[in-house]
Amino acid sequence: MSRNSIFTWIVMILSSLVLLFILAPLAGMFIHTGGAQFLETVKDKEVHQSVWLTLWVSFTATFLFSIGAIPFAWLLARKKFPVKNIVQGIIDLPIVLPHTAAGIALLGFISRDGFLGKTASLIGLNLVNHPSGIALAMAFVSLPFLINAARDGFAAVPERLEKAALNLGASHTKVFFTISLPLAWRSITTGFVMMFARGMSEFGAVVIIAYHPMIAPVLIYERFSSYGLNYARPASVFFIMVALLFLITLRLLSFKRKKKYINPDAQTD
Amino acid sequence: MLRLININRRLGDFALTDINLEVSDGQYYVLLGRSGSGKTQLLELIAGLEHPDRGTIMLDDVDITRQRIQDRKVGIVFQDYAVFPHMTVFGNIAYPLKARKEDKKYIVEKVEKAAISMNIKHILDRSTEKLSGGELQRVALARTLITSPRLLLLDEPLSSLDTSLKDDLKRLLRNLNKGGQTIIHVTHDYGDAISLAKRVGVIHNGKIIQEGSVDEVFKNPSNRFVARYAGIRNFFSVSILREDGLLWGVTEHNVKFKLNGVSTLRESLLLIKNDSIVLSNEKPEDSELNAIKGKVSELIPSEFGMEVTIDAGEMFYVNILASDMENLRLVESKEVWVSFPAKDIVVLSGN
Repeated sequence: MSRNSIFTWIVMILSSLVLLFILAPLAGMFIHTGGAQFLETVKDKEVHQSVWLTLWVSFTATFLFSIGAIPFAWLLARKKFPVKNIVQGIIDLPIVLPHTAAGIALLGFISRDGFLGKTASLIGLNLVNHPSGIALAMAFVSLPFLINAARDGFAAVPERLEKAALNLGASHTKVFFTISLPLAWRSITTGFVMMFARGMSEFGAVVIIAYHPMIAPVLIYERFSSYGLNYARPASVFFIMVALLFLITLRLLSFKRKKKYINPDAQTD
Repeated sequence: MLRLININRRLGDFALTDINLEVSDGQYYVLLGRSGSGKTQLLELIAGLEHPDRGTIMLDDVDITRQRIQDRKVGIVFQDYAVFPHMTVFGNIAYPLKARKEDKKYIVEKVEKAAISMNIKHILDRSTEKLSGGELQRVALARTLITSPRLLLLDEPLSSLDTSLKDDLKRLLRNLNKGGQTIIHVTHDYGDAISLAKRVGVIHNGKIIQEGSVDEVFKNPSNRFVARYAGIRNFFSVSILREDGLLWGVTEHNVKFKLNGVSTLRESLLLIKNDSIVLSNEKPEDSELNAIKGKVSELIPSEFGMEVTIDAGEMFYVNILASDMENLRLVESKEVWVSFPAKDIVVLSGN
């Protein structure tokens, strides 16, 4: 056996172990969930409501924040400014913060004493224990995934194409929507899916902001702490299945937009 | 008319320095220079993709130095074409018209007309993904020309095309220019320059070192760099002396050149055009000629005969026809005479 193939085998074994580490607990959970228990959970209205709440709140948060996050990502990819490195660091901050700490920080901001909370209360909206508060908590911890992916996507678009479009008479806005955005689309949708998925799975920050209405991770935790593992397991399985279905659908949609390159090896005429 | 007045632009270690240039209407101006000489940067300044640190760019007597790219009426075709990969050929050519929010019917008509003139109508519906270099080039050209630019800037448009495509595109560019289109064409290729240019500027290390008509520049190169572009290989650094009332250039290996006229220079560079040098087996009798004895050191077959290298204390490079080769019966180490008239020696200052 050549050295190369020994190396390949070692890499494959290590990779399999990592994969097993991810899959084994999930597989165990599926195996240990009885069919009857699962069906009962599927019919449980509380579970339905909680899964639906999780999905739509996370999707809405991702969608609304992407309106600001995508142009921000373009700015980071294209422009040079003095405190750019600090700004990059700030964007990544939610990834390294303990999520409960992020929740506490956010609570100070959106509670009735906080700036945003006060502003929202002017229109009769209490952000705490409200889907809008949950959306803010989800967005807070998941925004870096969208911004970073979109920034990399914009950076990969040759600047020359944008310059060519400007030279052809297009405005900066037109160039952004017709050149930069379509060419970075794949990275942006990947970031979108990542942000949506990360928001959907958030527990720590959300539980500080809103125990009720219960999103799926809070519901699973509540069932586990109140009734034990067997009662929490079917709800977890159901949530994982629905989440996977959503993720796969979004991934497939994003893959449909195939990235196109100029082929330098194309046949000459 | 385009006028660049004292354009300066620093980019890291490189700088465009004191660029002055005039390109009249209907001109085909070729900017010739090696890669890294600053020619593309200069095009980008004219197009408005970058701005000069100092200097003024005037187009038709209007200062466009700080004008928006979109308002300049200067079209640029990039070396890598910059064709939009997510659009069809039609989408690419229609892009400037859509940006101007033109009527849909008008767009279709204009795009078809542009495609016919570029001979790419048959690929209008195709994605740009699998187009050849020649097709991409035409798409990029059609897309720029549809904006009716006052000035067309071409960045190495022929560099990645094979010979037959090059000839097609050259014909197309010549016809465009004949139709009145003012063109500035940037290239590193001397052949492209002489076959297309009405006027040439040679750019080196961010400076335009010589400018004029093709004949003016290449028949009277002002320095070694331009001469090398014109294929001249016989250069000699000399000290100039006056002896017996005559002017002589003497190399460090003591090879002496009889010079014409009067020179006030002490250190000079002599340049002898290849076709001025004659080889013979016997010493020529004409006293007006410089005649130097040497040995054949290398014979390399060339397109029309042979490139002969002669070691006469200094190396001389001479191209001879196959028939002359037979007459002279040249072989390596054979002694021959290298001769050339004094009037054909060009004296340049410095190196």
